Amino acid sequence: MEHEKVEKEVARRSAQIYLPISIGAALLFFLITTLNGDYEPVASFGGTVWILLLSLIVSMPIVISAVKKRFQKE
Amino acid sequence: MNKTQLDLSIPISGMTCASCVSHVEGALKELPGVSNVVVNLATNKAGLSYDPQQVGLADMRRAVENVGYAVSSAEIVLDVKGMTCASCVAHVESALNELDGVNEAIVNLGLGTARVTYIPGLVSVSAMKRAVRDVGYEAQERSEGADALDRERQAREEEIKRQGRYLLIAGLIGMIVMIGTFYDMLGSLKAFVPEFLSYKWVIGLLTTPIVFGPGRQFFVNSWRGLKHGVTDMNLLYATGIGAAYGIAVINTLFPEAGFGGEGATFFESAALLTAFIILGRWLEALTRGRTSEAIRKLMKLQPKIARVIRDGQEEEIPADEVEIDDLIAVRPGEAVPVDGAVVEGYSALDESMLTGESMPVEKKTGDNVIGGTINKTGAFKFKAMRVGKDTALAQIIKLVEDAQASKAPIQKLADWVAGHFILGVHMLAVAVFVFWFFFGYQMFFDPNSSFIMSPYKLGEIGVFGFSLLLSVTVLVISCPCAVGLATPSAMMAGTGKAAEFGVLFKGAEAIENASKLDTIIFDKTGTLTKGEPSVTDVVASDELSINNEQLLIAAATAEKNSEHPLGEAIVQGAEQRGLNLVEPDWFNSIPGHGVEAKTEGSEILLGNRKLMKERGVDFTSLISQAENLEANGKTVMFVAVNGKPAGLIAVADTLKQHTVEAIRRLHKMGIETAMITGDNRRTAEAIAREVGIDRVLAEVLPQDKAEEVKKLQALGRKVAMVGDGVNDAPALAQADVGMAIGSGTDVAKETGDVILIKDDIRDVIVALETARATMRKVKQNLFWAFVYNTLGIPLGAGLLYPFASLVISPEVAGLMMAVSSISVTLNTLLLKRFKPSIRLVEETSNLPQAQLSGAQAAD
Repeated sequence: MEHEKVEKEVARRSAQIYLPISIGAALLFFLITTLNGDYEPVASFGGTVWILLLSLIVSMPIVISAVKKRFQKE
Repeated sequence: MNKTQLDLSIPISGMTCASCVSHVEGALKELPGVSNVVVNLATNKAGLSYDPQQVGLADMRRAVENVGYAVSSAEIVLDVKGMTCASCVAHVESALNELDGVNEAIVNLGLGTARVTYIPGLVSVSAMKRAVRDVGYEAQERSEGADALDRERQAREEEIKRQGRYLLIAGLIGMIVMIGTFYDMLGSLKAFVPEFLSYKWVIGLLTTPIVFGPGRQFFVNSWRGLKHGVTDMNLLYATGIGAAYGIAVINTLFPEAGFGGEGATFFESAALLTAFIILGRWLEALTRGRTSEAIRKLMKLQPKIARVIRDGQEEEIPADEVEIDDLIAVRPGEAVPVDGAVVEGYSALDESMLTGESMPVEKKTGDNVIGGTINKTGAFKFKAMRVGKDTALAQIIKLVEDAQASKAPIQKLADWVAGHFILGVHMLAVAVFVFWFFFGYQMFFDPNSSFIMSPYKLGEIGVFGFSLLLSVTVLVISCPCAVGLATPSAMMAGTGKAAEFGVLFKGAEAIENASKLDTIIFDKTGTLTKGEPSVTDVVASDELSINNEQLLIAAATAEKNSEHPLGEAIVQGAEQRGLNLVEPDWFNSIPGHGVEAKTEGSEILLGNRKLMKERGVDFTSLISQAENLEANGKTVMFVAVNGKPAGLIAVADTLKQHTVEAIRRLHKMGIETAMITGDNRRTAEAIAREVGIDRVLAEVLPQDKAEEVKKLQALGRKVAMVGDGVNDAPALAQADVGMAIGSGTDVAKETGDVILIKDDIRDVIVALETARATMRKVKQNLFWAFVYNTLGIPLGAGLLYPFASLVISPEVAGLMMAVSSISVTLNTLLLKRFKPSIRLVEETSNLPQAQLSGAQAAD
């Protein structure tokens, strides 16, 4: 039970970090493509979704394992 | 964060009294965050409360160990299903290692097992299974022996069946999708293909069951892992297949959405990518089991039935039920069920399956027999001495299993690289996407460009579709499956192969170290030599008219009642030569000097030079010959008859049969050889000269042997120690590789990294050659795996596109990926043909002459 509690806490804390990072990266991509003006809205949206997905995939394992380690140290 | 106190009960071992209790209590109390420590000697447990934020279980274990006790641990082997690559290994290992109470978890990809050392009571097996399940795999306890074999085979067959079923679905429908996609290019074949198959929505409908049927496993497993912060190959496949399918659906349903329209519906990419990945998994499941064939072969040797004689009657019982001291009958052609000693009968046994010895070994009363060997000729009865897990065969199986489950340093590095690689690949996919989206497409895109190995044009594909395509291809082509398989598959094949030839490596590290050896130190007595003295020279004096035989008879008669090892050697020497000995009429032992005896009216005096001098016997005429013999490391005994010099008898510890050949072959391999002994330098050097040893470490006390090994290591040498005795154990442990002779002591065998089952020193060469062949295979595999990724990734990222307007499609990337892991597995399987040079020579010399001449004629 304790293990599950810890897992949940780690998941909650991690999400607070990787979600802003990923959404931030996706928004940055969207902002650049929109401000640039050369891209169709669909390319902008499609690219934003792809960047969001890849950013989540990259940041989730890094953040979760770092939070887990910090949690264990605490 | 709120501070929480948790209660814990730790099993402690090594406590014998109240002071032990106070030591353990004191050690635990000193830790920050630990309170209410109560150690119970009767139950061998320490109860305490602790704050997990301040102190961990590892700290407590260390504290207990620091004061000389241990936290009891147990070991379990879990069968883990669903692992496909090195990153899976890292995930399962970290999931298990993160559990409180788990000391160490070692996962073997090839065997599909996790060996977990844990503290009973602190973590349950079900918690371990749950942790493995949480990261996307299935785990169950492994059973022993034949059950494990059956279950392993069953699991593998299930996996082959499952992937085979998926392959059938994905392959068949994928072919239809392919035909439909290229309908316009079919020419006259169009008449045989219904036109509706080329409709995008039909192709989409056909692809959907592939993606959500056989391809579902990738999405489910990657999501499970991702939830716990781990990434694996499944994620690469899932993002690749998902992106290709998603974009195709959008372009079919909303062709005006700007993702490339109907010209960029990559349904066939999603379908064929899934089919190729599953093809790879199916072939891998088919071939991977073959690398662990050694264990299977060994397990098959375990006889099922024993013919036990109870109350004078023979009865057949399961071999597992044989008890120590049971009397067992073995008929010709039957297998020996357990280990024991022959009490009646005579036969020859085929021990090749355990020792690699090709010739049948004769067995008579008193000789030991090994369970699993085959009785060739006669019938005999033997008494069971070791049964169940204690038999030599059971122990060999365990050793090979342990070795296969262990990890070589090179494998740890490969696992680490592969584990981090996937994250790197996703970062690269972002970079590739961003580059082609913002720069590459505008600079290089050509609507007439096409995919490699496909007439399919990229056509109207937009900036997003094109960038996404390359990004997905990078994900698919980068899969480091081959890197993950490269080392463990070769190690499994290598340890298995070595076991077939009678050499047991206790771990993968031993193989890696053995492949790097440049110096081998041999213990002298019992390793290079037989360890017992025997008569080497008989020199009769001219002063008495007796020949060598008569001299030996006189000496042996005098020594007949002696218990001195040299005396026994002389008696044995005479008996071996078929000489008839008589009982002496009178015998007297002269401690430290020799013996004297009277027989048939003659007075015989036998002993050292000092004794002869004291008794006034003049050996001047033989002194130079005596000195020559002594210079060759032999012990010379002087024999006088009736006060006159009769001759000399030299006794020495003789070399084992193959010692000289083994050393010669080692030199050929570029290995420096050394001999370590407590003998004086002159004797040691004489033996070294005879054998051809390069370096002599003489007059070394048993406790200093390890120090000598250390000295050579300090010179930068990679040293192996070969020994058999208890006194060799520290040196065996100190050496980079300790090799224990199978006939040696249990201590030596427990300490050594390698066990040479037979009493044949040439098996050192077998060990070295097998280790070198295995590491060669590991390096070849790693080389090809990395070459594949090094070439594949730039191609997938579109490096060729600016020059040739060609890109790799995701499905071709999937095929390349599958080919790379299959090629690594097939390369490993070539190791099955490996034979050590000595075995090749033996086989050639065992060939019947006719066969040999036939072969020569054929040449």
